[in-house]
Amino acid sequence: MIAIQQVVKTFKNAAGEFTVLKGVDLTIEKGQFVAIIGKSGSGKSTLLNMMTGIDRPTAGKVFIGATDLYAMSESKRSLWRGKNMGIVFQFFQLLPMLTLLENVMLPMDYVGMYDVDERPRRALELLTLVGLEKQAGKLPLAVSTGQQQLAALARALANDPPLLVADEPTGNLDTRTADIVIELFQHFAEQGKTVVMVTHDPSLTERTSRTIIISDGEVVNETLAQAFPLLSHRQMLALTKQSVRQTVAPGKVVLSRDQHVDQLYIVVSGQAEVSIERKKHASAVARLAAGEFFGEVELLRGGKAVATVCAAPDASLELLAIPHEALLAALKDSPLTEAALTRIVQHRVGDGK
Amino acid sequence: MKPRWRKVLSDLWDNKTRTLLVVFSIAVGVFSIGVISGAYVIIKNDMSASYAANHPANIELRMEDFDRDFLTSVQNAPDIESAVGRRIFAIRARPVNSTQWAALDIVAVDDFKKNDINLLTPISGAPLPGKREVVVEKKVLKEFQVAVGEDLVFELSDGSTQTLKVVGIVQDPTTGADDFLAPPFVYVTMSTLPTLRQPDAFNRVYATVDSGKNDEAHIRNVSADLVSRIEKNGKDVSRSRIALTNEHPLASTVNAILGILMALGILIVFLSSSLIANTLAALLNQHLRHIGVMKLIGGRANQIFGMYLVLILAFGLLALLIAVPAGGQGAYGLALFIADKLGFSLLGYRIVPMAFIIQIAIGVLVPLLAGFAPVIEGSRITVLSAISGEAGRETAGKPTPGAKRESRWEHFQVRAAQALLRRGIHLPRPLLISLRNTFRRRNRLILTLFTLTMGGAIFIAVFNVRTTLFDYMDNVGHYFVADVTLDFEKPYRLSEIENVARQVPGVVDVEGWAFATAEVLFPDGSVAENLTVLAPPAGSKMVDAQPVAGRWVQAGDTKQIALTEGILRSFPNLKPGDLLTVKTNGRTDHWQVVGFFKFIDREGLIAYGTYDYFSREANLANRSVSFRVVTDTHDQPYQRALSEALDQHFRASSYKLRQARPGLSALDNATESLDILVIFLLIMAVLTAVVGAMGLTGTMSMNVLERTREIGIMRAIGAGDGEIIRMVIVEGMVIGSLSWLLGLALSVPFTYLLSTIVSLAVFETPITVVFTPLGYFIWLGLVVVLSALASVVPARNAARLTIREVLAYE
Repeated sequence: MIAIQQVVKTFKNAAGEFTVLKGVDLTIEKGQFVAIIGKSGSGKSTLLNMMTGIDRPTAGKVFIGATDLYAMSESKRSLWRGKNMGIVFQFFQLLPMLTLLENVMLPMDYVGMYDVDERPRRALELLTLVGLEKQAGKLPLAVSTGQQQLAALARALANDPPLLVADEPTGNLDTRTADIVIELFQHFAEQGKTVVMVTHDPSLTERTSRTIIISDGEVVNETLAQAFPLLSHRQMLALTKQSVRQTVAPGKVVLSRDQHVDQLYIVVSGQAEVSIERKKHASAVARLAAGEFFGEVELLRGGKAVATVCAAPDASLELLAIPHEALLAALKDSPLTEAALTRIVQHRVGDGK
Repeated sequence: MKPRWRKVLSDLWDNKTRTLLVVFSIAVGVFSIGVISGAYVIIKNDMSASYAANHPANIELRMEDFDRDFLTSVQNAPDIESAVGRRIFAIRARPVNSTQWAALDIVAVDDFKKNDINLLTPISGAPLPGKREVVVEKKVLKEFQVAVGEDLVFELSDGSTQTLKVVGIVQDPTTGADDFLAPPFVYVTMSTLPTLRQPDAFNRVYATVDSGKNDEAHIRNVSADLVSRIEKNGKDVSRSRIALTNEHPLASTVNAILGILMALGILIVFLSSSLIANTLAALLNQHLRHIGVMKLIGGRANQIFGMYLVLILAFGLLALLIAVPAGGQGAYGLALFIADKLGFSLLGYRIVPMAFIIQIAIGVLVPLLAGFAPVIEGSRITVLSAISGEAGRETAGKPTPGAKRESRWEHFQVRAAQALLRRGIHLPRPLLISLRNTFRRRNRLILTLFTLTMGGAIFIAVFNVRTTLFDYMDNVGHYFVADVTLDFEKPYRLSEIENVARQVPGVVDVEGWAFATAEVLFPDGSVAENLTVLAPPAGSKMVDAQPVAGRWVQAGDTKQIALTEGILRSFPNLKPGDLLTVKTNGRTDHWQVVGFFKFIDREGLIAYGTYDYFSREANLANRSVSFRVVTDTHDQPYQRALSEALDQHFRASSYKLRQARPGLSALDNATESLDILVIFLLIMAVLTAVVGAMGLTGTMSMNVLERTREIGIMRAIGAGDGEIIRMVIVEGMVIGSLSWLLGLALSVPFTYLLSTIVSLAVFETPITVVFTPLGYFIWLGLVVVLSALASVVPARNAARLTIREVLAYE
């Protein structure tokens, strides 16, 4: 597990101080395949550097498993990283004077993993895994860029680390090779490795198990991002800051019909039961799961609640409450989100939900 | 200030380490050439000027005792401007509070105030001695410590002692100027001679000619004429020597040595220029992006060329600021050192204009020439390749489009490692990185190797030259096999002295030797060389002769002599079997040369003859005044102790012993002088080694700077500080070791070259070159240590880089 706790990173230069990460809290569970996305300058690469121990936070802590990454010296951290983390760079960063096989063996040499005789065999296995067994004896400049990245991936796996970190791994690759790389990441995640990847490419997020959005040095609420994917990252972050988390006990009412509604609720976990009164009888019309929301009809059409919403009786309900005013302001700047929301409202009202 | 010159200024200031590296690279060459050229000019000028200022004699005659009337007849001889008589004799002296005797020569002068030849330069105390007083030449202070006002004890010929007060210390740049191996002088007035049990008579004539003081032929003629007149008056001249007024007798030797130093100085400039070229090429490489940007916004090639030329010029000027004053001081220091060793004085500290101009020219031109190619190349680069960073970049960075082929060298390296692996030899990847890194920048490697190899080859060659010189001295020692030499005031029977000497424990063998002096004459009758004939008994055990041509003297020889090769200076075509015309005991004779041997010619040539013939000629059959003693142990302290014991024993037995000398002491001065020469050469060798090490430091710094990103990658995949430091140091040591291997080969011709030049300058004859492993091993140790040290700073800097800095280096 990766635990990033209140991490702040401030850079200083002649123009003054610039805070890139503003107290980031983040937890990534073992076996997850996580994409970190964000615009240029959002702080995603800095966040990755914090995870890899490549840079040092100004404040806060980073734990990988039980290891406090920054309690070690730089030199010890290098050794630790060699054993526990494989890194794949956008520009591959193979050492030009070593063959692909030697590049893959190098991390084993540095940290002293595996017997000396076993290293070439293992390196060749890894190159075979990425389809480069025939290129093993070539220098990096003698193979294609795609093959260089596959070799870099094999190098990242050299010491069989539980954690793989990749910075724009497909940024310089053609679609076919990019596909192979992502497939390999999925394969490793399925085998129980944690894979964290920074990417610009939103299409890749469809193939990861989790997406973390960074905007202006802060992490966007993932539930919110999932509910309103068409908002800009900045709008998502603004709403994240204004949203409030609520926990509702099983069976308890969140919203009663005809009650004045001034918030939109997104289900974070658990389920919400929506019921309307038909012929003076309450009738359940829907169950909303994580990522789904309610209160949108009242948001767009105004007025009081058209239905009653309560927590499902079997589990407590986690909600994210967003004030209508904040959401309306966001919708004003995001016609696509407004159109999508209008379609949902029309659909739900039409369905009688 | 225009922005472009602001940029030049900040290029100078922002990377101080690089600026210092370039500035010191230039400064070291400028300094060396400044020291050597300055010293060359100062010595060349002052050596002869200070010599001439002391009114040196043009003619020196060693002859039997003569009086003032006789001197007057010499003074009245034709073409003689002035002539003085002196009495010079060997003596032993010691300070009152010491027991250690030193061999000195006493120079007695009739009237110091009227003396106008071979003047003395006062250093401290009184310039002239009074009766029963002495002034000492400053070389005496190297024998023992004595101050003005203190007493010296002199040992007289009868064994008694006399104490005389030292009233002054002087320098004598002229007397004995041709022989820096001569014993130091002490000066007294003739009126002190009776106190020293010496007759009131002269035994030397020092004369100047009235015209043509720098005309060797004229002086030779005047000298020959004077000798002939003296001999007609019934006095024997045992030896004559001529000298020019405005040329120090050792000028040619010193010039030859300065010439070697100059050659080494030029080499250092050459080496430092390769260092500059290396550094500037790397600088331009780092600036490619700047150049691209400047061109992108309108900068033209000639403007960029101009900017970098100004930058180079600024490096040169900064180097001059350091090197010119330091070089001036160094030049005077070196000149002072040489002057002190050779016994002449300098005309005072000064800036030597020629050295100053040479330094300025080198400081400005060499960097410009060295930087010209990289600057031209840099300023001609296209915007695209500069901005993309393609040019000058290695392939560690962004991917290059398409797959290239490995170069042959890369192919070879990879295949070699694979071949080793197949044989079960695992080269660890970190070591492979160091090895392959070594050959990545081949031009830079070649320049670095060139600098370091030259430094190493000279260093090794200097050790070989040293061994060669001392081996030659050892060979000379074959003619000094005797452990103690006993010189008597009068002749004694051989058997008598042998019996008395054997009474001293440790004495194994005793031989009496005969002597003769002669002048070798040119066919026209003028004197070519002075000759001393040593005549040991046939089959002597005291000479381990090694003739280089012909044979050694043998029993039955009469007018046959074996001669030093020095004779070939005057008679280049002389062969064994040829006859030489000599003048001995006032009559002309013909001696046959039977062979040649190598020897240091001091105050004339040495020849060997047989005791039987030369003792008969001197009417000393079965008798001798000089005896050679062999003892049971041959080290110097033992020789000295036994010489003391023999001295006491003979004096106690009432023999008129003049002195007992330890055998090897004669070689001490010569060895010491050679040591000085070797020290000079070593200083130059160390300077070249320093330039080499600086070159390596620069190369390693540039390598590290260019590979920062790779170092970041290594850190990212698990390399700790130790691995990074080791990688850089191993690379440095690989370069160092390679340079050692190349230096091994190059040191051979260097050894021959240096040995020949030095031996011709010092011994006036080429000598057999001897190689010693010492220089090779010392240089191996030194180059490994220097390489490691040269890499330590870049390695530490590399280890300090954080990965973020490294990967953000783009």
